[in-house]
Amino acid sequence: MQAPRKTHFILAGLFASLLCAGPTYAQDLSILTHRSADRERLLIEGARKEGLVVIYSAAIVNQALRPIAEAFMKKYPFVKLTYWRADTEEIIAKLSAEVRAKNVVADLVEGTGVGELAVESGLTVPFTTPATDELPEIYRDPRGNWASSRISYFGMAYNTKLVPPDQVPKTYDDLLDPKWKGKIAWRINTSSGTPLFITTQRIVRGEEKAAEYFSKLAEQQIINFGSGSARTLVDRVIAGEIPIALNIFAHHPLISKAKGAPVNTVLLEPVPSTAGTMVVPKGVRHPHAAMLLADFILSKEGQEIFAKAEYFPVRPDVAPLETLAPVVPKKAGVQELFVGSEKLNRYYESSQKIWEERFR
Amino acid sequence: MTTQVNKTALPAQHAVAWFDQWRISPVVLILIGILLFAIVPPTLFLVNASFHETLPDGSSGAFTLRFYQKLVEGKLFLPSLINTVIYACGSALIAIFIGTLQALIVERTNAPGRRLAFLAAIISLGVPHILYTVAWLLLLGRSGPVNDLLSFVFQKSQMLDVYSLWGMMLIEGVGFVPLTFLLMSAVLRSTDASFEEAAMMSGASPVKAFMRISLRMALPALAGLTLLIFVKAFESFEVPALVGLAGNVSVITTMIYQSSRQAGAANYGEAGAYSVCLVVILLGLMLWQSQLSKNAKRYQTITGKGFRPRVIDLGAWRYGATAILVSLFLIVTVVPVLMLAFTSFQPFYGGVSLEAFSRLSLENYEALLKPGSFRDSILNTLMLGTMTATLVVPFTALCAWLVVRRASGAWLLDQIASVPLVFPAIILSVAFLDVFVNMSLPLYGTLLSVILASSVRYLPYGMRYAFAGTMQIHSDLEEAATISGASKARIFIRILMPLLAATLVSSWLMIFLLSVQAVSLPLLLVGPGSEVMAVTLFELWQNGQVTELAAMGILWIALMTCVSVTFHMLTRRHQFSV
Repeated sequence: MQAPRKTHFILAGLFASLLCAGPTYAQDLSILTHRSADRERLLIEGARKEGLVVIYSAAIVNQALRPIAEAFMKKYPFVKLTYWRADTEEIIAKLSAEVRAKNVVADLVEGTGVGELAVESGLTVPFTTPATDELPEIYRDPRGNWASSRISYFGMAYNTKLVPPDQVPKTYDDLLDPKWKGKIAWRINTSSGTPLFITTQRIVRGEEKAAEYFSKLAEQQIINFGSGSARTLVDRVIAGEIPIALNIFAHHPLISKAKGAPVNTVLLEPVPSTAGTMVVPKGVRHPHAAMLLADFILSKEGQEIFAKAEYFPVRPDVAPLETLAPVVPKKAGVQELFVGSEKLNRYYESSQKIWEERFR
Repeated sequence: MTTQVNKTALPAQHAVAWFDQWRISPVVLILIGILLFAIVPPTLFLVNASFHETLPDGSSGAFTLRFYQKLVEGKLFLPSLINTVIYACGSALIAIFIGTLQALIVERTNAPGRRLAFLAAIISLGVPHILYTVAWLLLLGRSGPVNDLLSFVFQKSQMLDVYSLWGMMLIEGVGFVPLTFLLMSAVLRSTDASFEEAAMMSGASPVKAFMRISLRMALPALAGLTLLIFVKAFESFEVPALVGLAGNVSVITTMIYQSSRQAGAANYGEAGAYSVCLVVILLGLMLWQSQLSKNAKRYQTITGKGFRPRVIDLGAWRYGATAILVSLFLIVTVVPVLMLAFTSFQPFYGGVSLEAFSRLSLENYEALLKPGSFRDSILNTLMLGTMTATLVVPFTALCAWLVVRRASGAWLLDQIASVPLVFPAIILSVAFLDVFVNMSLPLYGTLLSVILASSVRYLPYGMRYAFAGTMQIHSDLEEAATISGASKARIFIRILMPLLAATLVSSWLMIFLLSVQAVSLPLLLVGPGSEVMAVTLFELWQNGQVTELAAMGILWIALMTCVSVTFHMLTRRHQFSV
């Protein structure tokens, strides 16, 4: 009888120790909003002690995250940078679990649509960095909850074999032509898909006219594409399965076109754009290194890496890749409509409802 | 005492037995503890999430029934449930039909070269499910070669739409063929041939004897297997996500996936409600299955003697049988892999055409072989597979032995160990994330946490293998050892493990192959530095890097084939059967 009792005891102890809350770290976070001239020196000193920084990002590993990590560690060899790449939805899920458990691994979180969502859910702490001073006004958050890291422009992709050159839709109204019935697809279940498209129309046309437009558009029997990213949808266009796709990242077709794929982009005016943002999670363990990394991503060097990875830099003094310039609205002479994540979030539920009622 | 009385007295008897012999062996108790520890937190998380509001920060708020209400009132639950049932039935039927046909030819005919089917099946098992699905989508997609061929022949464009319910059934069903074949041939091998012989001596033809005797005897096992695949398809994720979502065919697992990912902070209420429904349905099915397999045991009580199942001489038809085996291997494995290989040499995917052949390049492989890229995730994955299999195999062997030898309280082990089967992996992932992140042990985000989670996940599979193996071992050796004074532990290690070696090796390989290809389980558990292959593959698909995905897949398949073939050689040499 001795043995079972002992094992009970051990088991109970094991249970208790495993179930109790994770480690909590009290940190002095004043550095996050520190603005004096010796900020950089303090950052480097602090980061040297911390020795580690972890970024969760939705950017592609091979072209963006790994080069950023390599360049950052070359510049600051005393900080080890590790990253975890996932989609925005996974990042949010993991981040909220970490913050809730006060077991925060991420020091900096970057991605499209991550920012405002995390801020609204109370998962972040504010920060400021002089690096954002150089950004255009619309790409900045006056409250200091997030900083833009890259810009995305959205356009329409079409298969050049299936859509004759003289028939390519040039405006949002051209999409209503009956000949495109059942031939247009858009992405559902992602904020830069249907919600962004619908929100754009509502902002541009006003609610009443937008509603009219949607009822006509609904007759086109738009294909609801629910699997995979915008890139996947463009691939389906290339493969000839879908002739036209809405609200895809405007540069994706150009990249494939350069390789000889039968696809092209049209910028429908106004061109919706959003920003990829960075936030600092509540309970951050390496605030100095996190700030150092945020500064680096916003620096000319960091932005150039993003540009090379076929993203659009947020800094005006870093040019996007030459091949991608045709889809930058300013360069193409087309009007841009920046839908910041705050605005997108405000419209999100009502836009999603419009989709559910008319297009589902 | 009549059986009637016996039945009614059963619960009370159990309770008495329970309290009377508090002498449940400590080993059983510890094992039950470990199992409960692994299974209770996810269950609690799930139920809790489905009955409570999720606050913006992800913690749970007030009690609510609205998620269930939404489910009942919503117009999507019933259609997706119906879709799920059709999809699971269809997949199970396809897998069972092809797998059984293959097993019949291999086990019961003299088709030349039939033994190679085992090797083929093991190689197929090494092809991750997600790659498999991608390959089939490339083949059958609107711009794939099959559609091209059809439209060339019939002059009608895009005849097949693979992004549909039948496409899902076909891909999932064919994907399960290797597993069905392996399990089915084990069943056929262990049915006693003497009945068949008796029938033939009484004048029945070999075919008739087989149909009337052997097939009927294998029927309970067949039903159990069908149910297993039905359950697997019911909770499967890859095919519904890649095929169904793209074609607007929603099933329950994709409803869970979508509602847990809806833009907005993590909210698991709706996903939780869906999962609870799914789990309840699957639990029902599992109970039914365990009922069935109880009957199956009754059928098999006569087995265990040395015998050789009868081989039917097909005469000249045996080459036809071989042709069937070869063409099945081509369809199930070779063609999809070739399609992947072709895609891997393309700069972008635009269908199979002469033009595409002129575009062949090594670009994707060059990108893959660049220093640093993916090496960590390959090492992590091998580690994951090895550790998971190594944890699960001895654990389940011990459990199965205790169950088979009726150690007191061990029946509970059997029941609890099959519970992980009913949890959809996506939900297990969320639940385990919650468990690990709240632990005081620094497990969160580590590879070890993924290993532990997948050990729980694949427990039922190990159990099934070990159970079948232990059943075949007679207890007389153990009794002899006990009389000679050996302890239980010693008996287990010195007698049972060596006798079970063959089963354990197959079990190990199976769990290795299954755990390295899981996508949805590690999705949220991995962190910086603990990435695994299957997740990387899924992301490449999500990001539309199909050609890179194909190249990586081909390398991975090559590696897995090496592993499988090595195992096959080893087991052959040592007279094991896989």
